[in-house]
Amino acid sequence: MTPVLHGISILTDSPTVVSARAGALEFLLANHALDCPVCDKAGECELQDMVHKYGPHKGRHTEKKFKFHEKDYALSPVIIKNSNRCVQCIKCARVCREVVGVNVLAAIGRGDHQEETSFFKTQLDCDHCGNCIEVCPVGCFMRLPYRYKARPWDLKGADTVCAYCATGCRMVMEHRDGTVLRARAQYGVGVNSETLCARGRFGFDYINSPERLTTPHVNRYGKLEAATWVEAFDYIKESLMGVSGDEFGGIVSPRYTNEEAYLFQKLVRDVFKSANVDSTSRWEASGVEAFAAAAGMNEGGVSVFDCMEADTVVVIGAQISDENPVTDYIIRRISAARKMNVIIVSPRAMKLDSSANLLLRVAPGAEGAVLNAVALSLVPDKTGGYAQTADIAKDMIDALVAKLKASASVAIIAGTEFLRHPESCAGLGFLKDSLKSSGKKVLILPALDRCNQRGVWEMGAHPGFGPGYAGVEKRGKGTHEMLEAAMDGGITSMYAAGVDIVSMFPDAQFAQKALMRLKFLIVQDTFMTETAKMAHVVLPGATFAEKEGFYTNQEGRAQIIRSLLPPPGKAKRDFDVIKAVGEIFDTGFGPKNPALALDEMRKTNPMYRDASLAFNNKRNVDNKLDIKAALVKAADAAPPSVKCAPAAIAPKDDKYQFALMTGNHLFHSGMLSKRSVSLTGLLNSAVVEICPEDAVFYGLKPGAKVIVKGAHYEAVMTLTVRPGSKRGVAFIAENYQDCPVNRFFKKGAGTPQVAIRPCS
Amino acid sequence: MDKVLLKKLGDPEAHKIDNYVKAGGYKALGMALKMPPDNIIQAVKDSGLRGRGGAGFSTGLKWSFIPKDPTIKKFLCCNADEGEPGTFKDRGIIDWDPHLLIEGMIIASYAIGAAKSYIYIRGEFALGAARLDAAIKEAYAKGYLGPNVMGTGFNHDMFVHRGFGAYICGEETALLESIEGFRAQPRKKPPFPALAGLYSKPTVINNVETLSCIPAIIERGAKWFSSIGPEKSPGPKIFCVSGHVKKPGLYELPMGTTLREIIFNHAGGMLTEKPLKAVIPGGVSAPMLTEKDLDTSMDFDSLAAKGTMLGSGAVVVMDSSACMVKTAYIINRFFSHESCGKCTPCRDGTPWLTNILMRLEHGEGKQGDVELLEGLCANIFGRTFCPLGDGAVMALRGALKNFRNEFEYHAKTGRCLG
Ligand SMILES: Cc1cc2nc3c(=O)[nH]c(=O)nc-3n(C[C@H](O)[C@H](O)[C@H](O)COP(=O)(O)O)c2cc1C
Ligand code: SF4
Ligand code: SF4
Ligand code: SF4
Repeated sequence: MTPVLHGISILTDSPTVVSARAGALEFLLANHALDCPVCDKAGECELQDMVHKYGPHKGRHTEKKFKFHEKDYALSPVIIKNSNRCVQCIKCARVCREVVGVNVLAAIGRGDHQEETSFFKTQLDCDHCGNCIEVCPVGCFMRLPYRYKARPWDLKGADTVCAYCATGCRMVMEHRDGTVLRARAQYGVGVNSETLCARGRFGFDYINSPERLTTPHVNRYGKLEAATWVEAFDYIKESLMGVSGDEFGGIVSPRYTNEEAYLFQKLVRDVFKSANVDSTSRWEASGVEAFAAAAGMNEGGVSVFDCMEADTVVVIGAQISDENPVTDYIIRRISAARKMNVIIVSPRAMKLDSSANLLLRVAPGAEGAVLNAVALSLVPDKTGGYAQTADIAKDMIDALVAKLKASASVAIIAGTEFLRHPESCAGLGFLKDSLKSSGKKVLILPALDRCNQRGVWEMGAHPGFGPGYAGVEKRGKGTHEMLEAAMDGGITSMYAAGVDIVSMFPDAQFAQKALMRLKFLIVQDTFMTETAKMAHVVLPGATFAEKEGFYTNQEGRAQIIRSLLPPPGKAKRDFDVIKAVGEIFDTGFGPKNPALALDEMRKTNPMYRDASLAFNNKRNVDNKLDIKAALVKAADAAPPSVKCAPAAIAPKDDKYQFALMTGNHLFHSGMLSKRSVSLTGLLNSAVVEICPEDAVFYGLKPGAKVIVKGAHYEAVMTLTVRPGSKRGVAFIAENYQDCPVNRFFKKGAGTPQVAIRPCS
Repeated sequence: MDKVLLKKLGDPEAHKIDNYVKAGGYKALGMALKMPPDNIIQAVKDSGLRGRGGAGFSTGLKWSFIPKDPTIKKFLCCNADEGEPGTFKDRGIIDWDPHLLIEGMIIASYAIGAAKSYIYIRGEFALGAARLDAAIKEAYAKGYLGPNVMGTGFNHDMFVHRGFGAYICGEETALLESIEGFRAQPRKKPPFPALAGLYSKPTVINNVETLSCIPAIIERGAKWFSSIGPEKSPGPKIFCVSGHVKKPGLYELPMGTTLREIIFNHAGGMLTEKPLKAVIPGGVSAPMLTEKDLDTSMDFDSLAAKGTMLGSGAVVVMDSSACMVKTAYIINRFFSHESCGKCTPCRDGTPWLTNILMRLEHGEGKQGDVELLEGLCANIFGRTFCPLGDGAVMALRGALKNFRNEFEYHAKTGRCLG
């Protein structure tokens, strides 16, 4: 082997190179199936391209070919395999082990009989991310949902961003004759380069769903009925004329574009003169402020790649491997290649644990206490204040402190647990300050689970701050307070744009009751959600594949999304819908289109003053994935500092052995992914996850049906175990229709406790 | 020459430590542990010992590449994978005289500063592995292994690692991968194992026979060793003679003994009246020689000058009844079966060669097959990741060079010549 050295000259076209290249290609074709006419990859196959370019154009191989198998076999509900086309590059097995970290693929056998597959070729118990498909240069690993559906040249594509989590993976979506068929990543493009997770790669098919809303609906006479836009707008005009000020509230989805969120908060604030605007129904507005302040989100974007250059990375309060899979890949890939600490603090085990050199298993909501204890040990004159951390072994805290002390730079990746338990945010801020005062470089990266959560906050869709975290004259109500006000008649009308409050608010019953009291409810969405069913007017919106605009990912990277298709039927782009609603009451309402909205943002929001959509869809020349120019700048203002009181702790009740944790499942994100055929094929009905020790202790069988019983709700679901998780913790994802986990919650009652027992 | 390596061959009690010590065993270790490590390396260099695993690289030089920094962990690995067809010399040492190897390994480990060593033994060698396990246990009990070896403060642990039946595990870096628990495929070099070997630490990999020479070098001196055989490749050498001879078996002779002497003086001459047709001098990757080359001195350089190699010292003798097409087919089938699959020319090229040879052998040859074989050889040779692919081509080219007419006859008539 000749190592590449500085100044070496490499001939790529000498006779030896030309013959070696053609020779290798001839060998690759010797046993290749050569079934291009029926191969999904034909037309974008690296082997085809190479042979076309470098020959040989005449075959000498006349021997009988070796065949691995006669028929392709499915390795998963979304992955199918044909080994007869393999060129043995082993990229599939390597991406599986080195990037995704699941180790289910390997080269089995030897020589020309070596096959990259799983043991016994059975269905994989894997992440179903399909990165093996993406890296396979030929047609061995293939998407099952895409099989025989199109040729690459039949497809029309748009370069866009995944709309599930806030990792913000860049991808190309492709459709044939109006049906979206494929999402694929591109090597060297985006933070994700060629990788995606199962949601990103397979979860887009809800766009094609026949259940999409294609026309407005109006409920005038006790029943929702299809209507025209004119009828819908007339009804809104009649019902909301004169409604103004605190009587009105609006909530916008963290999956809406920045332009849409910006316009929406303007609609609420300027047209309805109300301060009540929020962007999620899952967590309290004050928690968001505390989190944004502690994480220093107003200080501008923080690149995940910069974080990975730190001596120590602490992942805390984030189910990274399940909620932000590609962020997990980035951490795994980079941390394996350099000397650094990866420390994980969480109640549940996760795939990334294997990359960590220190694991702290803590009780749900204990993140803040850990951070406090650590920060106290860092400040020299205040050592030893561990009072609040009775649950965490002192030696673990000491180990964490030792690692931090030995590091010149520290990156903290802080996730949504801080929003579920906002009292933890104080600890985060405290640790940041302590690290800074001991002279260390500190970066905090928020890990968020909705594609534009950060963006909608920075657009000012929040009751406590305006665009760019600017202060507001009068603090408005967040979702929680709006619902409370609706209950007692303080709020009479609401506009829910893209949010399904009933399914997501942590106390489903309360949300439903509150919404029922409203005089008028507008819901704008792509499906008839539980909340839409309660609306007076339902406005059909668009998915991310049907609009133009941009998202800001968790790092603060502003990234353009592009429209692939028009919205179905009479549905409209959400920007146009919000604008039209505004124009009912003020014909001058605007900006009038997304481009003008961006212009206005650039002028008024310092974080976005340089936001440009031009640079960030190009491939980088030097294959660096980190386009710093896309990061948002620092704001002039800071989110108001609020101190969140610890949530009420439900009194220990021996009836309930488990503390309930929620979050997103690896295959799901909110309720949207439940509309994806591929993702529901991977997992459809509810599962509850505990650690194996608890399963043994309580005599529960993994895979069996169990009854999960809380104080307010009980449901039957399947039990799974996750080795390495904390005892006494049960996890149920918030994504199941058959078990809306928010029904376990009682407003103001804190973390629910549940009991699990076998189904008799 | 008195025997150094095979003196216990056939002695059913020799493998026990008491008998080994009684016969003067572990004396060399005692001497070595009193020497500064660098002096041992120098002695091995001076002895002129060259690796018996095939490539013939100077053993002392290899050891001297290991960094001297005592804070860096180092390893010694003994290559006992002995997979080359026709080779059974290492087994002769392991089965009958395991302590000789162990003593050599402890000395080598001390010289390079390794606290741990591994013996990677071919999976089929059940008896050998059991003997080694038992011998290591004995050595621990007697204080030759473990903490504070022979009261000198040197600590050493030794492990036996069994292979699972892949020839490629004999390639030194594939061997390391296999010990680490990965799939055995060669690593890229550089970095060489001397800098980043087992678990990325500096590592020496030596053949069983190489390491078994060490005690004698320490005991009798480098001068004595280098006085045996040719100046550039001195020392005793075990030849594994098989094929059409009267007395196939292991012969420990001075390096540089001629082929003629080995076959006719030691191995009892040809099996029948049939004349010698071809002889493979150093395992099946070594191109074959013919009658006219019988006076070649069997050492690294003389054989290289003849376009072949000493390799593992496996001498395979064939008389006129052997069909060269069939021989080439069988040898090639071995390589294609053992190709690890990492690089394209070897993985897909050697089975293609095998298929053509199989057709030729079965009377289904075609016009142009010989040229195709040559063309494919050219596309494989020098373009593979490790020497296995090259070895396959070298063997086939040797047969084609000397016996092209037999291949052409097969292609034309479907039958053997003569
Ligand atoms: C395909 C292949 C197989 C090999 N098999 C063996 C083997 O079975 N035993 C061995 O000692 N060396 C074998 N070698 C040589 C080793 O790679 C290495 O050179 C040798 O163990 C070094 O020891 P030495 O310096 O004592 O000769 C093989 C090399 C290759 C390329
Ligand atoms: S990526 Fe594709 S071509 Fe490469 S080894 Fe895997 S299956 Fe074969
Ligand atoms: S990691 Fe997040 S952004 Fe990336 S593909 Fe998965 S869901 Fe989409
Ligand atoms: S030459 Fe053969 S054995 Fe060696 S690395 Fe290549 S495929 Fe593997």
